[in-house]
Amino acid sequence: MSDEEHHFEAKADAGASKTYPQQAGTIRKNGYIVIKGRPCKVVEVSTSKTGKHGHAKCHFVAIDIFNGKKLEDIVPSSHNCDVPHVNRTDYQLIDISEDGFVSLLTESGGTKDDLRLPTDENLLSQIKDGFAEGKDLVVSVMSAMGEEQICALKDIGPKN
Amino acid sequence: MEGQQYQGELLAYLQSTMRAIEAACTSIQMHTNPAAAEATILSLSRSPQPYKACKFIMENSQLANARFQAAGALRDAAIREWSFLSSDDRNNLINFCLNFVFQHAGSPEGYVQAKVSSVAAQLLKRGWLEFSVSEKERFFYQVNQAILGSHGLQVQFVSINFLESLVSEFSPTTSSAMGLPREFIEQCRKSIELDYLKVFYCWTRDAALGVAARIIESDSGTDEVKVCTAALRFMLQIMTWEFRYSSNSVKNINIFSDAIRPDNTLLNRTECIVVQPGPAWREVLLSSGHAIWLVKLYSALRQKFSRDGFWIDCPIAVAARKVILQFCSLAGTVFPSDGGRLHEHHLLQLLSGVIKWIDPPDAVSKEIESGKSSSELLDGCRALYAMATVTTPSTFDKLLKSMRPYGTLMLFSNLMCEVLKVLMTKESDEETWSWEARDILLDTWTAILTTSSGSSENATLPPEGVHAAASVFLLIVESELKGACASVFNDDSASDYLHASISAMDERLASYALIARAATDVTVPLLTSLFNDRLSRLHQGRGIVDPTETMEELYSLLLLIGHVIADEGEGETPLVPNAIQRHFLDYVEAEKHPVVVLSSSVIRFAEQSLDPEARSSIFSPRLMEAIIWFLARWALSYLMSPEEYKEANHDSGLGSTNQIQSYGSKGIILKFFSEYGNGKTVLDIIVRVCATTLLSYPGENFLQGLTCCQLLHALVRQKNICVHLVELESWRDLGHTFANEKILFMLNASHQKSLAQTFILSTAGVKNSDTANQYVRNVTSHMTTYLAELCDKRDLRSIAEQPDIILLVTCLLERLRGAAGACEPRIQKSLYEMGLSVLKAILVLLEIYKHESAVVYLLLKFVVDWVDGQITHLEAQETSIVVDFCMRLLQLYSSLNIGKISLSTSSALLSDAETDKCKDLRALLQLLSGLCSKDLVDFSSDSSDTPTTNISQVVFYGLHIVTPLISLELLKYPKLCHDYFSLLSHMLEVYPEMVGQLNGEAFTRVLQTLDFGLHHQDVDVVSMCLRALKALASYHYKETTCGRPGLGSQASSGSHPTGELKGGILSQFLRSLLHLLLFENYSSDLVGVAADALFPLILCEQGLYQTLGNELIQGQVNPNFRSRLSNAFYALTSANQLSSTLDRINCQRFRKNLTAFLIEVRGFMRTM
Repeated sequence: MSDEEHHFEAKADAGASKTYPQQAGTIRKNGYIVIKGRPCKVVEVSTSKTGKHGHAKCHFVAIDIFNGKKLEDIVPSSHNCDVPHVNRTDYQLIDISEDGFVSLLTESGGTKDDLRLPTDENLLSQIKDGFAEGKDLVVSVMSAMGEEQICALKDIGPKN
Repeated sequence: MEGQQYQGELLAYLQSTMRAIEAACTSIQMHTNPAAAEATILSLSRSPQPYKACKFIMENSQLANARFQAAGALRDAAIREWSFLSSDDRNNLINFCLNFVFQHAGSPEGYVQAKVSSVAAQLLKRGWLEFSVSEKERFFYQVNQAILGSHGLQVQFVSINFLESLVSEFSPTTSSAMGLPREFIEQCRKSIELDYLKVFYCWTRDAALGVAARIIESDSGTDEVKVCTAALRFMLQIMTWEFRYSSNSVKNINIFSDAIRPDNTLLNRTECIVVQPGPAWREVLLSSGHAIWLVKLYSALRQKFSRDGFWIDCPIAVAARKVILQFCSLAGTVFPSDGGRLHEHHLLQLLSGVIKWIDPPDAVSKEIESGKSSSELLDGCRALYAMATVTTPSTFDKLLKSMRPYGTLMLFSNLMCEVLKVLMTKESDEETWSWEARDILLDTWTAILTTSSGSSENATLPPEGVHAAASVFLLIVESELKGACASVFNDDSASDYLHASISAMDERLASYALIARAATDVTVPLLTSLFNDRLSRLHQGRGIVDPTETMEELYSLLLLIGHVIADEGEGETPLVPNAIQRHFLDYVEAEKHPVVVLSSSVIRFAEQSLDPEARSSIFSPRLMEAIIWFLARWALSYLMSPEEYKEANHDSGLGSTNQIQSYGSKGIILKFFSEYGNGKTVLDIIVRVCATTLLSYPGENFLQGLTCCQLLHALVRQKNICVHLVELESWRDLGHTFANEKILFMLNASHQKSLAQTFILSTAGVKNSDTANQYVRNVTSHMTTYLAELCDKRDLRSIAEQPDIILLVTCLLERLRGAAGACEPRIQKSLYEMGLSVLKAILVLLEIYKHESAVVYLLLKFVVDWVDGQITHLEAQETSIVVDFCMRLLQLYSSLNIGKISLSTSSALLSDAETDKCKDLRALLQLLSGLCSKDLVDFSSDSSDTPTTNISQVVFYGLHIVTPLISLELLKYPKLCHDYFSLLSHMLEVYPEMVGQLNGEAFTRVLQTLDFGLHHQDVDVVSMCLRALKALASYHYKETTCGRPGLGSQASSGSHPTGELKGGILSQFLRSLLHLLLFENYSSDLVGVAADALFPLILCEQGLYQTLGNELIQGQVNPNFRSRLSNAFYALTSANQLSSTLDRINCQRFRKNLTAFLIEVRGFMRTM
């Protein structure tokens, strides 16, 4: 397989492509997939046949990476599925504002202030507590298909 | 006066207890406040000496349930207080129960009687070894009188039931729990088996004889039937007893390991318990005409009740048939060594009765179809199965010949044919009698055929048998094909069926194959003609008719043929089956040899799949699966078999005709498919078929999995095939496609891994090692080049997250893993270079893909596999490069992951993230263990002057990096926990000297972990920690006695210059281990290992040990216990001439001492 192809695809979309086609048979557990227009993580794949002497089809059970809802789909395994381009960026956490937004430091030195804190109490407290304890926190922001969300938190040592 | 008053009070007390229990029983039944009611009943059984109350309730309560509960309470209390009871009390309790049962024999509440008689049985067993013979005689005298019928039928019935519960109490598998040691149970069992079983059997037999005569004579007599049924059931129970002591063949019986029965029950679905009671039973079971009486009894009853169709399933009929079945399975020394005459006679008698149940098969099956119960027929089949199990095929066949013009095998095969015919008319999937009958009969075939092939001569199966096998197989194939057609369109069951498709049917197909191999002369040509017939049907109907049915038939045929002509090759190279070797001796021309003809037909058919047009019309994925499966199985036995060469030499050397005959047939086939015959052509076809399934069946994972993991692996497993494989144009093409074409990146990644492995393994066929290494480089260069180039890209960070790039990287890593896993000494060099060229890329990718757990795992796994294959071969400089790299990898992984928390609203995703982490860490631990092995096995050619890497230091350092990542939460994953502790304990055991050199932080962490492990639930983990502890303490002791620092200042408390109370680590462990041993729960298996650890600890810390011992002794308030404890402590360190050296003998002595110590004191220490 040649490299030009990838360049070509990447350039044609000018980096804005949200999904890529991929043969259903190659999508494995822990991979990503688009089901009903939502980016999901596959938690279960099983295969069956259409009739005894028919072709294989894949049955996916997947979880929406943003809202945690479970979705299912059945696709003939030689057909293509859409796979979302999931992007993750790390930012240092500068501040948490009163109105539920976070302030993040970008690599270029600017700030990113348009990201909301998660609404889930548990997740919220994990971020807030860590921040309140004065830890130096890096948050990973996951974005796919035009949505973004904080997906992980990393403690890089106490603030000096 | 006082006496009367006392009596009165007692009566009042008893009555109030009875009322309380009755109320509780009612409340349980009405389900009002059951917890309180249960507590009331429990309080009765827990109160001391509740016997009077229990007896009173049993005798006086009107409520059956209360009597039941009282009996239970009596039992619980008596078992608990048994050792305090006087022997009179014990006798009284048993007598009371027995008399109670006899007196209330007619009572309508049978369950109370059953409970009381089981209580009597349990108490009798509890005291079995203490009662004198005369005491037992007294109990059994009553029982015997009752069984003889002197107190009427009711009493006769209950007394037989009592014996039944007694015997089941004495059989270890059915006894109730009493908290008694295994030896006790075993002694009881021996005693009853040798002294009583036969007596009991005779009593019941006589009882049965008496009542049976009356049943046959008179018309009424439900009570007689009841007694007779009970008697038969009891006889059955004795016939299923697992005789151990009376059959004098077994000398030493290990009571702790249940002997595995030597009969071939593994393959079979139907149970057949071979009864081997030994010569003592000959008189009772055989000489007295007992068997014939049974058979006659059944026939007479059958005749008498023939007008009631339901009678066949009556308890008495069922019991009688089962006893007859057990008689069929009699074997062993119970028969005299008279050349089997008595055995034959015995079976003949039984068969004369059994035959009425199954003969003539067509009439019987018709009756069943029109509503008659099938249980008689099924039992008939089971009887045949039992007879086949205990006889040789020819004896089995001969049995019937004295009664009929044909042999048993004939009858048996007719029966089987009849069953198969019925099976074919049924379309439903539900299990009918014919299913069950077929399974039993198949097992019978297996029993017949495996006993014959077990001995060296095949001749043991008489010609009739061969004929019978042929006709049965014909019907089997017919019914399988019919079944295949019928199942094509029921889609709902197909989904379950498909997953299991090939392997699940294996069991049944294996028994079919056995039958077919018994008559290869007929069956192999039959299969050939059927196969060719379906093929031509498929071709004729192309484009006109729906081919699905024919495809399914071919699918079934392929599975059948595969099973018949080849054996499964799990783990070893299978030989051409004996049956095929021995037959077809008159075929001189290979082309006409039936097995060659059949194999060639299938291979030619497979070849047709190469044509795209044919492929699209007649080769469904499922049909291809069968073809691939067949080729894999077939190739292992037949394709370019190395035996063929051996034989060529063998035959020329040994000219004996016998030899040529026995190998002749096989030789012809193997020669035909050898490299000198058509081997290369066939191999080429197979490779091209493989390429087709990989390239032309996109998305068919199962099919491709079969191709990669079974067929191709089967090929490269044999060196002589590899030699030709690497020469083939088609193989080179496949390799080229693999490296260059996008289409093979569409395969499932794990199949790509397997393919890469296959290519590397095929280098076994390359003669020159340089060429082999070059071959490896050619196969792997596309993987390494691409990864290296990718990492050099400037926009790597932005393109890396594109799904297509992720897919590609995943595939390449899997391929690399496959290649790394196929490491052989000859090609180690090129695989080392392969790894070396991607080391940099791996670190880059680990950073880039830190959020993509699937890629991270693959990266780690590749390194693990690669290091595993390489490490033992590396030279010093290479080792240091690899070790260096591994440490950088660990550090990088650690820096990327430490302190990281995943956030997600979905709990499923969170737990997935946790599992991923656990898998990563396991991989890292595996990597470290891989490095460890360098110190154990090293093939490098270095001389000692080159600086070598200190592996132990490196691994300790690695552990230091990994340990912080492993949280207590993660240690709950058993595999991770196990890996972690086995690595840690290995390190401490092998390199205890390293511990002293660790820095403070690392040192504390190791010890904390050990302490955590000591209190873990998993026995393995605890024992690993104990072993580590032993190593540490022994090392320290040995070093310090020689005046060296040992583990250093951190270890011991005594020599600490500051003189503070802060104890060293060994003293902490001494404390914690003593506490564990005395006060906590642990498996008794650990005592030995714990002793090994405790002994050196005591030696290191004698002062502390004295103090701790004194503290414990002073802590005992009870003076009795105090003296016991201090004596025990004294004995622990001084008994058995224990001295203070750490040699093997001393350790063993200390093990003994510790066990004695714990037995002595743990009981009261723990309860205090």
